[in-house]
Amino acid sequence: MKSIILSGLLALGFLSIHTDVQAQEIKLKGKELFGDINARQIGPAIMSGRISEIEVHPTNNRIIYIGAAGGGVWKSGNGGMSFTSIFDEQPQSIGAIALDPSNPDKNVWVGTGEVWVRNSVSAGAGIYLSTDGGTTWNYMGLKETERIAGIEINPKNSDEIYVAAMGALWGDSNERGVYKSSDAGKTWEKILFVNNTTGCSDLIMDPNDPNTLYAAMWEFRRTAWSFSSGGINSALYKTTDGGKTWNKIHNGFPKGKLGRIAITVAPSNSSVLYSVLETEKDDDKGLYRSDDAGKNWKKLNGDFGLVVRPFYFSRIVVDPKNPDVVVKAGLFGSISRDGGKTFKNLGAMHSDIHDIAFDINDSDRIYVATDGGLYRTYDGGNTMEIVENLPVSQFYHVTVDNKTPYNIYGGLQDNGSWYGPSRSPGGIEARDWMSVGAGDGFRVYKHSTKEVLYSEMQGAENIWRYDINRNQTKTIQPLAVKGEDELRFNWNAPIATSLHKPDRIFVGSQFLHMSDDMGDTWVKISPDLTTNDKKKQNQEDSGGLSKDNSGAEKHCTIFTIAESPLDENVIWVGTDDGNIQLTLDGGKTWTNTVKNITGVPANTWVYHIEASVHAKGTAYAVFDGHTANDMKAYVYKTTDFGKTWTSITTDDIEGFSRTLQEDYVNPNLLFLGTEMGLYVTIDGGQNWSKFTNNVPSVAVLHLEMHKGTNDLILATHGRGVIVLDDISPLREITPDVVEKDVHFFASKPTLIVEESGFASTSTELQFVGPNPSRDVRIIYYLKKRHTFGKMSMEIQDMEGNTLIELVPGKSKGINVVTWNGSTKQPKMAKGKTFTFGGFTSPRVQAGTYKVVMTKGKATYETTIELVNDPTSVITEKERIAQHETTMKLFNMSQDLAYLVYELDEYVTKADELINTDKKAKKIAEPVSKKLNTLKETLVITTGDNYVGTAKNQLREDISELYSKIASGFEAPSSSELENLSLLTERYEKAVKEFEKLKNKEVKKLEKYITEKGGAAITLKTYEAFIKD
Amino acid sequence: MKKLLSLCLVIFAVTSLNAQTADEIINNYFENTGGKEAWLNLKGIKMNAKVNQGGLEIPLEIYQMADGRQLTKITFQGLTIKQGVFDGTTLWNTNFQTMKAEKADAEATAMMAQESQDFPDALVNYVARGYTAELIGKETIDGTETFKVKLTKKPLTIDGQQVDNINYYYFESENFVPILVETTVKQGPQKGAISQTKMSEYQEVGGLYFPFALEQGIKGVGTAPLKIDAIVLNPELPASEFAFPEQQ
Repeated sequence: MKSIILSGLLALGFLSIHTDVQAQEIKLKGKELFGDINARQIGPAIMSGRISEIEVHPTNNRIIYIGAAGGGVWKSGNGGMSFTSIFDEQPQSIGAIALDPSNPDKNVWVGTGEVWVRNSVSAGAGIYLSTDGGTTWNYMGLKETERIAGIEINPKNSDEIYVAAMGALWGDSNERGVYKSSDAGKTWEKILFVNNTTGCSDLIMDPNDPNTLYAAMWEFRRTAWSFSSGGINSALYKTTDGGKTWNKIHNGFPKGKLGRIAITVAPSNSSVLYSVLETEKDDDKGLYRSDDAGKNWKKLNGDFGLVVRPFYFSRIVVDPKNPDVVVKAGLFGSISRDGGKTFKNLGAMHSDIHDIAFDINDSDRIYVATDGGLYRTYDGGNTMEIVENLPVSQFYHVTVDNKTPYNIYGGLQDNGSWYGPSRSPGGIEARDWMSVGAGDGFRVYKHSTKEVLYSEMQGAENIWRYDINRNQTKTIQPLAVKGEDELRFNWNAPIATSLHKPDRIFVGSQFLHMSDDMGDTWVKISPDLTTNDKKKQNQEDSGGLSKDNSGAEKHCTIFTIAESPLDENVIWVGTDDGNIQLTLDGGKTWTNTVKNITGVPANTWVYHIEASVHAKGTAYAVFDGHTANDMKAYVYKTTDFGKTWTSITTDDIEGFSRTLQEDYVNPNLLFLGTEMGLYVTIDGGQNWSKFTNNVPSVAVLHLEMHKGTNDLILATHGRGVIVLDDISPLREITPDVVEKDVHFFASKPTLIVEESGFASTSTELQFVGPNPSRDVRIIYYLKKRHTFGKMSMEIQDMEGNTLIELVPGKSKGINVVTWNGSTKQPKMAKGKTFTFGGFTSPRVQAGTYKVVMTKGKATYETTIELVNDPTSVITEKERIAQHETTMKLFNMSQDLAYLVYELDEYVTKADELINTDKKAKKIAEPVSKKLNTLKETLVITTGDNYVGTAKNQLREDISELYSKIASGFEAPSSSELENLSLLTERYEKAVKEFEKLKNKEVKKLEKYITEKGGAAITLKTYEAFIKD
Repeated sequence: MKKLLSLCLVIFAVTSLNAQTADEIINNYFENTGGKEAWLNLKGIKMNAKVNQGGLEIPLEIYQMADGRQLTKITFQGLTIKQGVFDGTTLWNTNFQTMKAEKADAEATAMMAQESQDFPDALVNYVARGYTAELIGKETIDGTETFKVKLTKKPLTIDGQQVDNINYYYFESENFVPILVETTVKQGPQKGAISQTKMSEYQEVGGLYFPFALEQGIKGVGTAPLKIDAIVLNPELPASEFAFPEQQ
């Protein structure tokens, strides 16, 4: 009966599998496409990035969580000395973090969506809970709230959670206000709602009464061209019944509209509240204090440090032990030690302070979140020290040069412009990055032939031409001229260099400016290419209750410029107000092609245009509608100079997109940068797959590809620069490839790197970006994961001799196995201690080698090639001499090892006889004694591996010379050869001496044993000994 | 035997869609790899393995005994060095400089005493051990579908503080064997990072299936492979091999 059921099941199983294969179209998507292709997060952390939130553990001061504006959640278990990223797969824009007071080791809540709502702020997507201290995360809803400003948890009931939902920044939304869950986040009830423009920007629970909460409601709105803070709906509310009823607590507040309100309760005295108000009248703005839990308020201070830019700085924090020590976030951060009457600035650090946290045990230890990273102080805020291992830098853009290794250039939010290498000895360290711009940095371009680069600051207030060798700058931004309109530059003003003329540079205002002399002379080559909508050009009125005309809202500007790589007369321009302009005659005439696109709302920001390298009429346009509260992805392709456009997005893409990079070889391979990470298509946009191998769900603002290496470089706005090394395998994936059991991808010849310099200077707590592997890469696609049975891989020479065994990858999809060109180390003679030179493995020489992979009974083969560096000064003859000498010493080491093995076997036998056979003593003793005397000259027989080491003997001297030569690339020097000659002589002498003893003393012993009928001394063969 | 097990795998492949609980998944794993009874009868294992670091091949001999004793022998240049030796009471290692044995600190010893009780596998009789298992969901690992199971063990004491002791197992849904185990690094410079051990090349030894290839590393950083050449069940090893050498 059982067997019948089994047969039936099997038949059904096979049938269903068969049917699936027939019915299923092969879809070129899924995580397996990328397999072992892992990205490198290279930071840097030297300037770090904006930190939006700090949360300390309530009882263990070793544990600190921080939320980055665009770089996720990081946890420290050592009191803020170092941090580890723990939130890579979730949205990286962080609003609030809260630890459950009843279970702070386990329950961690994270509300996504930063609440310091500058123009470049990223969006969140709800609230997450970890019940294992941040190892794993569960999505707990509130996705549409976009930004979460606070999370409060009842200290007596872990299931009772209150959430401050600030809501949408760029449009109306009802998903805002205060939410409450009574079932640990399974369901949510909105318990305070004002209207669809007003959200909760601050929420605090009375630490002594979980039913008492204070909620700051804020009326606010951003558009692409303006910001508005405040209105009649902003207010401060209090509940004393767990959110059933709320009352405004404004007694002592000024009349009129209010803006953003900060609120906090002194942890050591629940009656003491501090609130910072943004008000209609400037004189009313400032810090208010209540000593009766909000019944009455009194204004204490209106200093600049307290009232500056409320939308960006609205956090007030009280020392947990002293209700009169209060710190306010701001441009520099302000601290009061007299209950808020007077303030002084915190110590020197990066400006723009967003959050502050006191150590639970020692109020002199304070952590401060800034635009330029996390700082810590041990003296109450006087002296500040940056945490040097938080690579949460916010890049806007990246470019590369054509050097080897290539450099990466880019600008960052409030952290200037920088360039650094794609690899560096010992890793990419802080010292490798060069500062090449001030203010907020954006686009940086290296001149293609000169040691000159261009960088800029916000609104093209300065565009610098920087002579790298002379360390000289000249500002070259286009200036207004008589009779023409004032120039309007975007906050992130576009610059582009020409691929056709090295000295040519483009800059976009509302016009396209071109210079053929590196920015000394500018020619306008377009009319105003924007909509020039005057209603969107009133930035002086921007800000709401607090005027905020920083230039960040400048609108109706050119945002992207793309010169065709195939024709210098074909130039595309995209504007922030939705135009896609094209010239085919170098700027004489322009056509707005956006009218040929259907499906995109009018005036949607054109974030990026990619002019194809494959065809002159082909281009891609990426629209970003998020500043109009439109979070959909819009990516279009034209092949006829914009006459027609086709959408290439699918439902695979989550959230809005900003940028696209076309592969230089395969026109169907495209990379898309979105608000939630990187997407890849290998079929021209029919299917998209999210790339997650070490690329977090971070906003990708720009992409670049390096032609020489096929590396894809990501400018992320929160996780620094991320590099996907050599994406060329993705070019080869086709339906045929994924249907084969095993497919080896073409592999480029691997350069034998002759570097051997010194490495890192970084301290233990400084971030160091990893280097790319320079090993041989063996890349193959497996149709199915190999879980059961043997699978092996080895490198063979072309005659089939095994050089080394490697461990193959088993993943379904792309596998990458690396080999550094080394073979097995020599077998060394056994001594009392190690001879460290013997741990050196010889390298193979340049040439072609076989890779043989065995999977079950099947064998698959491919070849790989190693080549010498064509720029090397070492000649072929010298390489041969190096290799031959290496192998001579290698063989000498192994020969000596066998000799010592033989010797040890004879000694063992002799000693055994000495102990067991009195008659043998006379014959055996000389064997043992003389052989041991010889051995003492062959290997170290005393001492240890450190300072107790004994004098070198033959083995150690041979291995030291072996390692010296094997590790280098040059031919042996005359000094080395002289030493080799000496060692050869010593070795030959040892062999002779051993042979002599064998022929005399050992022979006698063997004869004695034979005569006594004992078992002869048996030795392994040389080959068996080496293999063993 | 091997054929029978292969047959079982196919059957479980068919029934996999219905597997709902962590307990069922774990039971399937043991059934597919030799049966829970056989695993419980195991008195010890010896593994001959090697790791390769940049061409430097390091042979290892690893013993794990049912009573918690364990040791690893590393052979370099004909010299054998013992590391991670635990005799049930004392944990010790060989100092590479002096080549002499040194005792591990009290916390590390206590941790070993606790963790070594998991032989042959923390999942065997996990309920009786006081552990809990929870099915988290499905996840794609190495391009293949897996069941993610959270195993919560007894907390550990590290640097004077009690910390959670949780492992995440990813069982390939087609055959129910774990292909990845993750845990949080609990101390040292990588503290807080995710430690990963990937398993493949499951092969039969005495009716039980063991992974013969392991890759260990930190998520997102890279892995080092460990290749097992042979496994011996119920090995004999004198107690003196595990004992801390007082006279050195």
